[in-house]
Amino acid sequence: MKQGSYHDLVIIGAGPAGLAAAIEASAGGLTTLVLDDQPAPGGQVYRQIVQNANSRSARGYLGADYWSGHELADAFARSLAELRSECRVWQIGKDRDVFFSQHGKAQKVRAGAVLIATGAMERAMPIAGWTLPGVMSVGAAQTMLKSSGSGADGAVFAGSGPLFYLTVWQYLQAGLTVRAVIDTAPARLGLRHYWLALPALLQPGLLLKGVRWRREIRRKTRYISGARSVGIVGDSRATGIRFRDARGGELTIAAEHIFIHQGVVPNVNLTMATELDHRWCPRQLCWHPRTDIFGQSSVAGVFVAGDGMGIAGAGAAVLSGRLAARRILAGKNGRSSGVPLFWRLLKFRQTAIRPFLDTLFTPPQEWRTPEDDTTIVCRCEALTKADVMAAIAMGVSGPNQLKGYCRAGMGRCQGRMCSLSVQNLIHDHTGVPEDRIGHLRIRPPIRPLTVGELAALVDEDASE
Amino acid sequence: MRLNRDRVIIIGGGIQGCAAAYFLARRGQDVTLIEKDHIARHASGVNAGGVRRLGRDLVEIPLSLASMDIWQSLESDIGVHADAFHPCFYVKVALDEAGQKLGLDRIDSLRKAGFQHECWLDDADIRKRLPHLSCRTRGGILVEGDGWAVPWRIVQGFAAAAARHGASLIEGCRVLNLEFDKECWQVTTSQGLFEAGQVVNCAGAWAADLARQAGEPVMPLSAHAPMLAVTERRRPILPAVMGVLGHTLSLKQLDTGQFVIGGGVRARADMQANRGEVAIPELAASMRLATTLFADIASAPIIRCWSGIEGYMPDNLPVIGRGSKPGLVHGFGFSAHGFQLGPGVGEALADLVMGQQPRISLEPFRPDRFEADT
Repeated sequence: MKQGSYHDLVIIGAGPAGLAAAIEASAGGLTTLVLDDQPAPGGQVYRQIVQNANSRSARGYLGADYWSGHELADAFARSLAELRSECRVWQIGKDRDVFFSQHGKAQKVRAGAVLIATGAMERAMPIAGWTLPGVMSVGAAQTMLKSSGSGADGAVFAGSGPLFYLTVWQYLQAGLTVRAVIDTAPARLGLRHYWLALPALLQPGLLLKGVRWRREIRRKTRYISGARSVGIVGDSRATGIRFRDARGGELTIAAEHIFIHQGVVPNVNLTMATELDHRWCPRQLCWHPRTDIFGQSSVAGVFVAGDGMGIAGAGAAVLSGRLAARRILAGKNGRSSGVPLFWRLLKFRQTAIRPFLDTLFTPPQEWRTPEDDTTIVCRCEALTKADVMAAIAMGVSGPNQLKGYCRAGMGRCQGRMCSLSVQNLIHDHTGVPEDRIGHLRIRPPIRPLTVGELAALVDEDASE
Repeated sequence: MRLNRDRVIIIGGGIQGCAAAYFLARRGQDVTLIEKDHIARHASGVNAGGVRRLGRDLVEIPLSLASMDIWQSLESDIGVHADAFHPCFYVKVALDEAGQKLGLDRIDSLRKAGFQHECWLDDADIRKRLPHLSCRTRGGILVEGDGWAVPWRIVQGFAAAAARHGASLIEGCRVLNLEFDKECWQVTTSQGLFEAGQVVNCAGAWAADLARQAGEPVMPLSAHAPMLAVTERRRPILPAVMGVLGHTLSLKQLDTGQFVIGGGVRARADMQANRGEVAIPELAASMRLATTLFADIASAPIIRCWSGIEGYMPDNLPVIGRGSKPGLVHGFGFSAHGFQLGPGVGEALADLVMGQQPRISLEPFRPDRFEADT
């Protein structure tokens, strides 16, 4: 096959971690290529930041945190790093060949080092009715606001977590009406939360921001805390949401648009498909690639940065991107990459709020696996909890054998939506610890690649 | 721990091992099957599922035909799992002159050997049977009644049928040592010691290692991981399993509408990690051929590629027969085409274990056929 172009560093993802790493690495003299699947840099956090800068109204409602990304985007634009947008990376091969598809054609580049900065994705939320038209994730609702300046008026928000409150706040700032906010976080803080809030004081800005968002949401919307047994009502599309409030009262609120959220987890499909070692994080209830502080994974020359290492937020993502770039630069120049203790302290300060947030916003069990047997678990193959449980009861050895028994995780999302639920269901049934049950084995291509796109790799050979 | 000299131990829970366990158990033998992972974990669970007599090596045809008899009456053997077999027709078309010559020569040599199951069709007949074909052909070879199956379900079917007839299936049990001692086989495993009068080696890519432990001469077995890709669902356009003469493509459309594309393209098998690698770009040539045959397939997204570890012999023929040690029978080395043979091989292995004459000659598959070379 044709030998693709070579770069000292190929970064996958142009979010905070990828951009920061690209700035640092290219300043240090590394030829750096960033492959990103979006039309413009910014990732999810700073989506469309360059375009929105010209929009006066967007300035008003997206908030200061969003605009802080402008500095990063500017520095990246001034750097020597090369960006290729709308590239879907579908496999990292042996010897750091990076395969991707751009504009209908499969291609390859070779890399001295690869940095995976593919960030986070929202946790799947298999509650009753979650697949009905009219139900969207809060992340998708926010993407709508960032990329087209539009949102749904009169929506109900249900769930919890930092992105949840931020997005409600942004909707309110943008002048959209929010019918109700149904908060699933505990209505009162426990002793444990106060204890964990102590280190969070190292990031007072974040704490205060959260308090401010919540205060404003309480003031401007119908706000219900401590909600349990949340389910979407409707036959062919969502017509409302039902739940029990903190006092146990049953409530139903009519709504056409329902936005749900239970936090984010690292998007591990690429790191899993690249066969990096992963470990189960009991606090965040998800898998993290095993790395050192510089993001070096278990595979030589492959690094991870940003929320893909473990959820820590945009500020920590920038730091982790810089750290990975320093390590890669040092490796190339035979220098030291800095004092680990110093970086460790800096990183500790950057992530000090996480234990508090992770504990306060732990997804309730009923949002991790459905309470009701008829609720869909695997969207692609339309499998309910009962279907999956029937297969598990046949005595499967784990999620990989389960694929054969009931096709859970065999659809186009490659288990992105169901793997954590399936793992949890197996855990519930067998009692085997979640870390031992393991994740679905992710097979490339991790992004859909058409047969024709791949066939084009042969054309390239013929033209040589 | 049960000690039993009348016992037969089968090592390997793939299709050969499970079918052998079924035929032995059905004949009243005391069978224990040992599998290091789980039933159908490797090549037998993840292969392309082609049930194919077409294109087989001449010396393999009697075994393939005998096996097909069992496929045809599968339901009485393995019950509900039999619905995983979808008979259709299997066709290999010629796209160039070389392919056409290959096909015509093949038909000629088959006729001379007295076989009638493959026949030659011209382009018009092929296009009548495959109206969605996007290219002209130079004719092709067809076999009626071949087809495809969901491989892991067939293997599960044999395993379950064996268990119904009293066989014990032990999964997650790795053989650590195999030796002949005190007139019977001592099989030391991760779950303890087993003794048996006879041992059947159906360990696939791991079989040569077992043979070596058993004190057999070195077997020239190599391991590779053939790759496959599956697409999203599409409208039904392909009612057959297809190949191209002179190429290794295998193409089929499942009842879900998904295309399975692959065949012949191998990745590296990581025996230590117990997993096959996947190198998608190597599949590009197969994709190219698939889109030549059906332009519609070009727009179908590939949703998953996978591979499975399999054992290969230098002549691409399996090893089926008695070993040089008493009570040792081998059935491995199927070189990427063992799935259809499975039921027939299981029956033949059962015959060997019971000291009976298999209904077809196993001479071409003699375990010692490479010994002069080594």
